[in-house]
Amino acid sequence: MTIWTLIRRSLRYHARAHLGTLLGAAIGAAVLTGALLVGDSVRGSLREMALARLGKTHLAAATGDRFFRPALAREILSGSETFSAAALALPATMSSGEGSARANRVQALGVDGAFWKLASQSPAFGEIPADGVVLNAPLAAQLRVKAGDTVLLRVSRVSQLSRDAPLASQDNATAALRLKVHAIVSDAELGRFSLQANQVAPFNAFVPLDRLQREAGAVNGANLLLVSREPKSDLKPAEADSETLAKTIAQQLRTSWKLADAQMELRVDVTNGFVELRTPRIFLDPPVVVAATNAFPGARLIQTYFINELRAGVRAAPYSMVTAAGAPLVPAEMSDDEILLNQWLADDLRAAPGDTVALRYFAVGTARTLEERTNSFRVRAVVPLALPYADRALMPDFPGVAKAESTRDWDASLPIQAGRIRPQDDRYWKEWRGTPKAFVTLAAGEKLWSNRFGTHTAVRFPLPAGATGTNALAALRDDIEVRLLAAVDPTSVGFRFEPVREQALAASAQGQDFGGLFIGFSFFLIGAALLLVALLFQLGVERRAQEIGTLLALGFTPAQVRRLLLGEGAALALLGSLFGAAGGVWYARAMLHGLSTVWSEAVGGATLSYHGSPGTLALGIIASVLVAVATLWLALRKQAALPARELLANENVESHASENGAPKRSRGFAIGTVAFLSALALTGWAFTAADAAAAGIFFGAGALLLIAALAFMAAWFARLSRADAGEHLSLAVMAERNVARRGRRSLATAAMLACGTFLVVSIGAFRLDENAGASSRASGTGGFTLLGESALPVVHDLNTQSGRDFFGLDAKALEGVSFVALRVRDGDDASCLNLNRAQKPRLLGGNPEALAGRFTFANRVDGVLPDRPWKALKRGEFYPMKDQPLAADEVAAIGDAASIQWALGKKLGDTIEFTDERGRAFKVRLVASLAGSILQGSLLIDEAEFAQRFPGEAGYRMFLVDAPSNRAADVSAALTRALSDTGLELAPASRRLAQLNAVQNTYLSTFQVLGGLGLLLGSAGLGVVVLRNVLERRGELALLLAVGFRPSALRRLVVSEHAVLLLLGLGAGVGAALVAVLPMWLKPGAQPPPISLCITLAVVLNAGLVWTWGATVLALRGELLDALRSE
Amino acid sequence: MGEGVIMPNPLLQLSNITKHYAGPGGAAPLPVLRGVSFGIARGETVAIVGPSGSGKSTLLNILGTLDRPSSGTVTLDDRDITALDESELAAVRNREIGFVFQAHHLLPQCTVLENVLVPTLAGGDTASRATAWDYAKKLLARVGLADRLAHRPGQLSGGERQRVAVVRALINRPKLLLADEPTGALDRASAETLAQLLVELNREEGVTLIVVTHSLELARRMSRVLEMCDGQFVNATAP
Repeated sequence: MTIWTLIRRSLRYHARAHLGTLLGAAIGAAVLTGALLVGDSVRGSLREMALARLGKTHLAAATGDRFFRPALAREILSGSETFSAAALALPATMSSGEGSARANRVQALGVDGAFWKLASQSPAFGEIPADGVVLNAPLAAQLRVKAGDTVLLRVSRVSQLSRDAPLASQDNATAALRLKVHAIVSDAELGRFSLQANQVAPFNAFVPLDRLQREAGAVNGANLLLVSREPKSDLKPAEADSETLAKTIAQQLRTSWKLADAQMELRVDVTNGFVELRTPRIFLDPPVVVAATNAFPGARLIQTYFINELRAGVRAAPYSMVTAAGAPLVPAEMSDDEILLNQWLADDLRAAPGDTVALRYFAVGTARTLEERTNSFRVRAVVPLALPYADRALMPDFPGVAKAESTRDWDASLPIQAGRIRPQDDRYWKEWRGTPKAFVTLAAGEKLWSNRFGTHTAVRFPLPAGATGTNALAALRDDIEVRLLAAVDPTSVGFRFEPVREQALAASAQGQDFGGLFIGFSFFLIGAALLLVALLFQLGVERRAQEIGTLLALGFTPAQVRRLLLGEGAALALLGSLFGAAGGVWYARAMLHGLSTVWSEAVGGATLSYHGSPGTLALGIIASVLVAVATLWLALRKQAALPARELLANENVESHASENGAPKRSRGFAIGTVAFLSALALTGWAFTAADAAAAGIFFGAGALLLIAALAFMAAWFARLSRADAGEHLSLAVMAERNVARRGRRSLATAAMLACGTFLVVSIGAFRLDENAGASSRASGTGGFTLLGESALPVVHDLNTQSGRDFFGLDAKALEGVSFVALRVRDGDDASCLNLNRAQKPRLLGGNPEALAGRFTFANRVDGVLPDRPWKALKRGEFYPMKDQPLAADEVAAIGDAASIQWALGKKLGDTIEFTDERGRAFKVRLVASLAGSILQGSLLIDEAEFAQRFPGEAGYRMFLVDAPSNRAADVSAALTRALSDTGLELAPASRRLAQLNAVQNTYLSTFQVLGGLGLLLGSAGLGVVVLRNVLERRGELALLLAVGFRPSALRRLVVSEHAVLLLLGLGAGVGAALVAVLPMWLKPGAQPPPISLCITLAVVLNAGLVWTWGATVLALRGELLDALRSE
Repeated sequence: MGEGVIMPNPLLQLSNITKHYAGPGGAAPLPVLRGVSFGIARGETVAIVGPSGSGKSTLLNILGTLDRPSSGTVTLDDRDITALDESELAAVRNREIGFVFQAHHLLPQCTVLENVLVPTLAGGDTASRATAWDYAKKLLARVGLADRLAHRPGQLSGGERQRVAVVRALINRPKLLLADEPTGALDRASAETLAQLLVELNREEGVTLIVVTHSLELARRMSRVLEMCDGQFVNATAP
C-alpha cells in the first residue's frame, strides 16, 4: 500500500464524479495545445512558403539596374559543388490578350533551363518557346487565362543610364511583348519565386531569358544571380554554412568575373596610344575610379558634361560638350577658373584668350529636378580642332544622343529647345559629333558636375614611357583588366550575396507569434475550462468530507491530505491533457480554417496549412497539466482546513462560511458610489477628447461602471442578508435571501459572468475605424485621398505641367490635385499584413517638407522637434545627442508605430542595417513613429539620402494623392488610364487603412468569438455552483418539502435565485460594456455591433438558464426526505 | 480512580479541562466541559457514559486531539498534548492514538487490507510500513477477517466493517484506543462480538481503551465507568 495505490483507488472509485473535471481539463488542454499548434502551423506554413519562393536557392545577388553576363553564373562555380542560375528580373504589367483583365506589379523573369533546376520539383513543361510565357498560378488566376491563351506583357526597358539622369532617354521606357501562355507553374515548381519575405504570392511571368534581354534592351544581361549549395550531381540538401558559402562564392566571383560584369569597357586608342576605361552607365562608379587610379597612378581622369550654353558677351553656342581633365589635355598649371576653347567655338563666340565665357548647365537635383546654373571662366587659350582636342571619344555614349546623326535626332529627356540649335551647330555635330568644344580643369569639373551617378566619364591609361605599338597597347589593356578586376570589390558594384534562405527562414521563424496570439484569444475558453475543473473538483472533494475527516483523524496532516487530493487531480489533469492534446489538433485545424476563411484578413490572405510538431504537442500537454494542477492547487487550498470532527460528522459548514460570507454593505455602497461618479466624469471627458484617446477613456469608464455595479450588488446582498421580511415572507423573498446567504459565492458567480461579458463586448471599442476623420491631415490617411503604387517607375513630376503633359493628363481633371511622390527601395513588407518578421523593410524616399502637418505622431525620440517632426529626416536637422549630429553612416527614418513594434520588433532609437547600391553598410535610425497610418509597412527617409544611397532606383513608384474627396473616383480613373503603362494602381487611402485596420479588427473579432465560447463554457460553472449550493442545502430543502412545499416550487425557488445571479452578471457586464462601445457604434458610418456578439450573449443567457435548471433537477432528484432523516 | 484524582505515572492525565463554544450573536459562551480531570493507567479500559449533550463525545475528541480544550491540559505519556501544533498533533493521532467511530469511516475505494494500512501512509517511517503488512494480516485474521482481505467495505456487513475499523485503529500499535459509540450502529450480536473483541485486544495488545457509549453492556465490560452529566463527571464506578 502506497500513496499512489490510494490515489489510484480513489480515481477509480470516484471515476464518475471525476468525469466533469477530466472533461474540463481536456477542453483546457485542447484549447491551449491547439493555440500552440496554430503557432506551429503559421510558422510551418510561412516556412513552407519561404522555401517554395526560393526553391533550392541559398544565396542571391540582386544587382538591380546593373547587368552582368548570364555566363558568370556558370563561371563562378566552375569546379565547385554548388549550382547556380542567372535571371533577368524586371518590373512589368500584364494584361490578358483581349485586355479584359490586368495585373500590375508583375515580376517579369527572364530565365533559362538552369533556373528551373532550383525548383524543388522539376516543372512538367519543357523549354519555354521564344513567344511563350509561363505564369504562376496567382497571375493566371488574376488574368483568368490558361495555357494557350495570349497575354500582353509590358516590361520596363533597361536604361544603362539611370532614368533619373538628365540625359537619359525617356522614349521607349517600356516594351510590350505579346506572348502565348505556355504553362501555369505551381509553387513547388518555383512559381512563387521572390526574394521578398511575404506570405502573399507575387505575380510572376517567366519568359525565355534571351527574349526578355532582347526586348528589354539588356542584351546578354542578367541582374539576379542565384546560388544553391546543393551539388550538381546529387541534389540532396547539404548543410554548409551560408556565410561560408557566401564568402566562397564572393572569392570565386573575384577570380572569374569580367569587366563586362561590372559594366566596364576598355577601349584601345591606337592613334593616341592609350587605353580608356568607360561604362555604358556613362558615369564610372567611384570605387572603380579609385581602384583604377590606385592601380595606375598615371591614369588620367576625364569628365565630359553636357552644357546648355556657352556664352561670350552677346554670342552663345547652345548644347555642347565640355571636358574636364588634367594634364596633358589641360595644362598642369591652368587654374580652375580658366577654360580652353577649341578653335570652332572661339570662332563662333569670337572669343579670345582673356575673355570671359559663361557656362550654363543643368545640375542634377535630388530627384530628377534640374537646376540650371551658370559659371564663368576666363579663356586661357584657344586650342586647335585637332588631336588630342578633337577627340569625339571624350563624349560618353549618352543613350539617344551618341548615335544621333543629327541634332534633330537627339532623344534626351532634357528640355532642349530645338529652335536654339543653329545650322552651324548641326553641321558641327555631323562632322565632329560630341567632340568637346571647351576644356576646364578636372578639379573645376568635379566641383561643378559631380552628381549621385558619379563624377568621371572615363579613365585613360597612357602607355608607359618608351612603350609603343599595338602589342604594347594590347598588353596594357590586359594588364589593366587583370589589375582592375583584382582591385575592385564586386560588392561595390552591386554583387552582394545575401543568404536569402537563412533570412527567409529567420523571417518565418521570427514572424508574428500566432501561438501566443491564440492563447490570448482563447484566454476565456482556457479560463472557463479551468474554472470548471476547479469547481467540479472542489465539488467532488466537498462530497468526500467524511473521507477527508477520516484521513485527518488517522493522523494525516491537512497538507498531506491536500497533497493526496492534488495527486488525484494531477492524474486527472494528465489524463485530460492527453485527451485534450488530441482535441488540440482538431482545435488548431478549426482555427486555421477560420484564419483561411472568416478571419483571413488577420493573416493577409495567406493560405495556412496544419503543421504540428510532436514537441509542441508535448509542450501543450506539459503546459496544460501544469496549469490544471496549479488551478487545482488553488482550489484545494482551503480544503481539509475544517476540523476532522466536523468533516466526520458531515456537518453543514455554512455557519462558518456565512459568518464571513456576507460582504459589507457600507463598503460596497461607498466603492460603488465612487466608481459610478468616476465613470460619469470619465464619460464626460471622453466626449471632449480626441478620437484616438476616446476609445481608451470610454473603455475605462465602462470598467469603472462595472466595478460600481459589482460593488452595489455586494451592498445589496449585504442588505438582503440582514433584512427581515416578517409578514411579507414569500418564496421570492426566500430566493432573495438565499442569494444573499452565500454572498461571496453569489457575488463571485455574478462577477465572473459580468467581467467576461464586459470584456467580450467592450473589446469592440478598440475596433479601428478607417473612416474616422479620414479627410483630416492628422488622420491615418494623412489627409490623402488616394494611394497609388506603380510597377514601373515614374520619373516625371506629376505636380508640374510638363510632367502631366508627358502622360497626356488633362489639366482640368487634375485641378486641385497634388502629389507626394515617393521613391521605393523594395524590401520586406513591414506591415501587419506580413506575418513574417521583416528583416530588411521597404524604404521610401520622400520630401519631408511635403509631408509636414500630415499624419499623427505616436512617439518620437529626443532631438526630434515636436512641432516639426518630419524635419528630423533632414540631415543636420536632427541631433540625437545635444550638439551632436547624426553619424555620417546613419540615416533618420520615420515609420508606422505598428511596423516598428510588431513587424520589425524594434523600438524608437533602434537602428536597422542596410547596404547601399555600392555595398556600403549604413544604418537607418528610427526617430519617430506614426499612429495607425497608411505608411505602415515601410520606413520613410529623406529623398536626398535615398537618392545618394540608391542612385539606381530611378523615379517614383509610390504616390500619395491629395484630391478633392468628391472627385476622387474621377481623378483615380484619369490617372490610372494615363499611367497604365507604368502599372499604376490607385486605391482610396481609407481603403488601404481599412486593410491594415482589418488585421486588428479581425483579431478583436476572433477574441470575441472565442471569448463568447469561453463565456458559454463558463456558464456551465453556474450549474456547478447550483449543485454545490443545493447539495449543501438538501436538508433544508427537504424540510420545506416536509412542511408542504411541492417539488416544483422548490425547483422554481432554486432556479430563480440562481437566474437572478445570471441576469445580474450578464446585465452588469453588458451595461458597463455599452458605455465603452456605444459612442463608437453611434458614430456616423460606424459599423453596427456584430450580430454574432448578440447571438453569443443570447446563447450564454439561455445556456446559463439550462445549466441552472439541469443542475437543480439533478441535485433535487431522489428521495429528498432521506436527507432530513440523516440529519 | 475517580474524577479529580491525580494518578501516579498515568498514560493519560486530564487536568481541569474546560470547553465552551461561542454563543450566537455575541451571547455568553456555551460551556460543554466544566473542569474535567481524570487519569487513566496504562492498559486500563474505561467507559464514559452519560446522556446526549453531556459532553462525552467532546471529551473524547479532546482526548483524541481532534479538538482542543478551552483550558486545562491533557498529558499523554507525560507529554502535554494541548501545547502541540497541528502537525505534531497529527503525528500523535497517527502513532499514539487509535480511533474507532460509530460510523466505520472506511474508505470505500480501498480493500479491507488497504483500509487497515492507510494510517501507515501518514507517517514517514517506511521501515514500519514494511512490517505493517504482516501485522495487518495478522490482526485481520485475529478478528476473523482473514478471508476478507481483498473485499471492499461495501461487500462487508456492519459488524465486519467495524472490526476492520478496529484493526485500522490498531495498525500503528497505539498506546491509546478511543472508541466513540463503536456498537451504536450494530445489531445486538455484532455489538456483542465487537465488545468482546475490544476487551480481548486490550488484553492481547496491551492498549489502553476508552469507550464512549450508551450501551451498558459494553460499559460493563470495561474496568472503569465514568458517568458524565452537564460537562462534568458525576459518578465513577468500578465493575
